[in-house]
Amino acid sequence: MSVIASRVQPDLRRKRINWQKVLVITLFAAVPLFLLILFTYIPFAKMIQFSFYNMSYTKNKGYVGLDNYLKVFTKEEYVGAMLLSLYYMAGAVVQLALALFFASILSLERIRGAGIYKAVLFFPFLVNGIAIGYIFKYFYTRGFVLDSVLQAIGIPLDALPYWLRDQSVNNWSLVFTSVWKYCGQNMVLFIGAIASIDPTLYEAATIDGANRWQQFKAIILPGIKTVFMLNLILSITGSLSAFEPAYVVGSMGANGTATFFIKIHQMAHVSQKVGQACAMAMVLMALILLFTVLQRLFFRYVMKDSENTFNAKANKAKALW
Amino acid sequence: MKKLLSLILALCMVLGMTAIASAEEALPTFDQIVLGENTDLTAKIHFAYHRTDIPEKLNGYVEEFRKTYPNIEIEYELITDYAENALLRVGNTDWTIMGIPTVQKDELSKYFVPLGSLETLDKLYNFMSTQSYEGTCYGIPSTGNANGVLYNKRIFAEAGVTELPKTPDEFIAALKAVKEKTDAIPLYTNYAAGWTMGAWDAYIGVAATGKTEYMNQILPHAKDPFADQGNGTGPYAVYKILYDAAAEGLIEEDYTTTDWEGCKPMLNNGEIATMVLGSWAFTQMRDAEGGQHPEDVGYMAFPVSIDGKQYAPAGGDYNFGINVQATREEKLASMYYLKWLTHESGFAYSEGGVPIDKNGEYPDLYAAFDGIEMLSDADALPGEETLMSELNSESELNFNNGGNTKVQEIVEHGFKKDKSFEDIMADWNAAWTEAQESLNVEVK
Repeated sequence: MSVIASRVQPDLRRKRINWQKVLVITLFAAVPLFLLILFTYIPFAKMIQFSFYNMSYTKNKGYVGLDNYLKVFTKEEYVGAMLLSLYYMAGAVVQLALALFFASILSLERIRGAGIYKAVLFFPFLVNGIAIGYIFKYFYTRGFVLDSVLQAIGIPLDALPYWLRDQSVNNWSLVFTSVWKYCGQNMVLFIGAIASIDPTLYEAATIDGANRWQQFKAIILPGIKTVFMLNLILSITGSLSAFEPAYVVGSMGANGTATFFIKIHQMAHVSQKVGQACAMAMVLMALILLFTVLQRLFFRYVMKDSENTFNAKANKAKALW
Repeated sequence: MKKLLSLILALCMVLGMTAIASAEEALPTFDQIVLGENTDLTAKIHFAYHRTDIPEKLNGYVEEFRKTYPNIEIEYELITDYAENALLRVGNTDWTIMGIPTVQKDELSKYFVPLGSLETLDKLYNFMSTQSYEGTCYGIPSTGNANGVLYNKRIFAEAGVTELPKTPDEFIAALKAVKEKTDAIPLYTNYAAGWTMGAWDAYIGVAATGKTEYMNQILPHAKDPFADQGNGTGPYAVYKILYDAAAEGLIEEDYTTTDWEGCKPMLNNGEIATMVLGSWAFTQMRDAEGGQHPEDVGYMAFPVSIDGKQYAPAGGDYNFGINVQATREEKLASMYYLKWLTHESGFAYSEGGVPIDKNGEYPDLYAAFDGIEMLSDADALPGEETLMSELNSESELNFNNGGNTKVQEIVEHGFKKDKSFEDIMADWNAAWTEAQESLNVEVK
């Protein structure tokens, strides 16, 4: 009714509707905004402030300027911890490739029990992080799950490394747990994107004589590139702030597996250097922002047309999760 | 509107006055509490504690206590990862009694009810100074621990170790004998659990130097405290044992996947020869599920001798503190329960601990401690109560305060032999010196 009314008397109605609108918007926005400011922006502002001080939880020992930031870049152990992210980034690439592979197979081919495969692959994502810690401790223990499987296919135990002890492989072992956990999640996102492609395109392509690989390249890949971008950005930023695998499987970052995020945790909660930890957190955030911007610039250059729809789809996909 | 305002104002004043009134009615001190009095006390106590392994035992205590005080309700909340959780919750009101986490000494009064003066309580109970500040106690220990080394008697006998090792060299020789003559793991580090590695810090004070002042008075002012003393004593000697054991292959093969619960029956059954842990661990190993030989679990002093004499560091386990924000009834009821736990429960004895009540009985596990002097760390000098924790934080070494990583690194470097023990200690000395400089500590 109001729609018709406003059409009849546009000037008179508009004022009143606007006023109502403002009221409604204010009221509805007030609560989430209040919560957002209280729990995100105020703590964030405090974190910026703390990062310039030498302080513990209860004592402030004074302003130190950029000292905390300088330490992040000059101390060897922090730089080393940051470089560990490279392992997780490499893992992220493998993870996306695997997820895309499974997603295309499960969408394109008529596989009996595809639903079961999807569920099985997605299941690790639902497992609690602490449980993953226990699972993989036993998985990697000398002579336990992984070793017995490898022995069963004929590899002698002596030829196998100690998966968590040997520093040449232990970070890869941890990256594997991360890939194991998040691959299914990526896959489900890809399947969702693939499902939104018009199926008649495949039919047309088949009639034109395109094989599966050509279909994948010409139809699926362009059709899902926005979701692909989203997955890539989430995985790379996730690699930069990797924490869980090294904390729960790698004994709280022992034996050279302490990622930058774990160093922050130790700094804040063991040594109680809150100022230093805040500065480290700021650096981590800056790195994540930098990587996100770099990726977007890169892809803007590579695939120009997808940019417009990227934000909308990314938000949609995020909302789904 | 005016009426409403005045009403609110009046209400505030009444509330304020009652607050003042209840504050004025002072609580009795811990020594003035007499069990059997005030049996009509009514209160609800929420008890936050770390012993997730013994819920039945604790609830049994509650039941026993309520026979005398039926109107006091006690609910235990047992928390894993206690040290960190408790630290986050210490300022809240959702607990009445908690095991006091590592708060700085000058902040104790902010969170905990004073239990009485150190002067009075120190005569009646052991280890009262741990959670005290400026002569006032804020906590009473649950049980006392003496720190030594757990070992398997049968394995030592099979390896031909007839006399308990008293020096680092004798200890390493014993571990080698175990490796040669038995199938047991000579020294189980429990590397993966983390805190089990930090447990090594407990030996650098009294056990390594024989001085009660070392930990809180000498170490903060010491120049290069981690340097080699040349006579097998001092912090250097303690961590050197660990480094050498790792370097000589005397520890578990895959140390990154050790399992704390799993190691208990292993010591009991003779699959492990020694473990460096406080006496609190003794009963857990002896009574371990799946353990076949509880009689083989033994306890000995840490293998460092100072002029031919061994010392065992002893101290209180977690201290119980009462929430300063609780109501008066809750505080009083908590006092009675803590008094009962200390005197009547038999907790310390059954846990194999050093008694808190000075008239209490010592359990048999200290049989091997004959001739070994038990000492507890002396307090920091007045005005320096927080110095050690500040140095800990500044140097990031965190002795006896969650600094597990640095001890784990000793195992890693020892095993891989990629960094000499001298270099590690030199790094620690450098970190300590830097911390002393930044805090303007006088170095003696």
